[in-house]
Amino acid sequence: MEGEALQEGLPYVVVINLTLASLLLIALGAWLARDVLTTGVPGKRQNFAEWVMDFFVGKARGMGGRRVVAAVAPFLATCFLLIIVANSIAMLPIPILNYPPTAFFGVTLGLALCAVLGTLVLSGVFNGIARTLKHLVWPNPLQIISEITDVLSLSLRLFGNIAGEYLTLVLVTSIIAIGIPLILHMLGLIPTFVQAFVFTLLTASYLAAAIHRQEEREKDLEEETPGAAGAESS
Amino acid sequence: MEPVLLALIAVIPISIGAAVAALSMRWISTAAIEGMTRQPDIASQLFTAMLIGMALIEALCIYCLVVALMLAGNVSL
Repeated sequence: MEGEALQEGLPYVVVINLTLASLLLIALGAWLARDVLTTGVPGKRQNFAEWVMDFFVGKARGMGGRRVVAAVAPFLATCFLLIIVANSIAMLPIPILNYPPTAFFGVTLGLALCAVLGTLVLSGVFNGIARTLKHLVWPNPLQIISEITDVLSLSLRLFGNIAGEYLTLVLVTSIIAIGIPLILHMLGLIPTFVQAFVFTLLTASYLAAAIHRQEEREKDLEEETPGAAGAESS
Repeated sequence: MEPVLLALIAVIPISIGAAVAALSMRWISTAAIEGMTRQPDIASQLFTAMLIGMALIEALCIYCLVVALMLAGNVSL
């Protein structure tokens, strides 16, 4: 069952669900941005969108100044929102599309590769390419291996949690089809959120380690223009 | 190898991994909840740190799950 699905290449359900998740996110973003965005008193939708984005902006603000926030916060928000929608899309009552795309190892490997390569690219943008490449082999050449294991651990963690939850659901449903799967779905909401959260937090910590050297210089610039982006979230 | 034997072997890594990971997570959650009750002001920071620590431990358990799945994938039921 699981082994066959892995050997046959990409199942169409994964592709359709991933596309559906992205479309849902785009539709949500379009709906949230339907009102005219204002810097005055925001409406309900803008308030909600700002509440969501505020967490990522707060995370990114710990790493550096305004340039870093503008690059890092959308990156983290994309990671979190795409993963949480892809994790929970199997709970939509659509007959055939009941397979979460993140329970397929190729998808999570792609996501983790994007996260780690994005970390390297952002580090190259903010610290310079030479320093980034030097950081890979200096002072310890094994830091290249560290990047590879970052990819592996990120992808395997997401894949294992979601696929394990899904396998449990399938096995229990094949025994008792009424009532119990509902409870399992409710319990499945917890790893759905926590894994997306953990993926984002770990990506943020990799980014913070990569952009760290920029921090002191940017902090001086930030203190000259305080309070522009609202209160400091602690 | 016999399929039944392979299925039995596949149980070993995930059971040991899950048991040890559960014990380690107990330590983390106990310490985090103690810290949160003593200082509710920094509860959100503690929660974040707890989640990261749990995720790092859970990854080891997940490796065991992957090994078990790879072993069980060879079993034709």
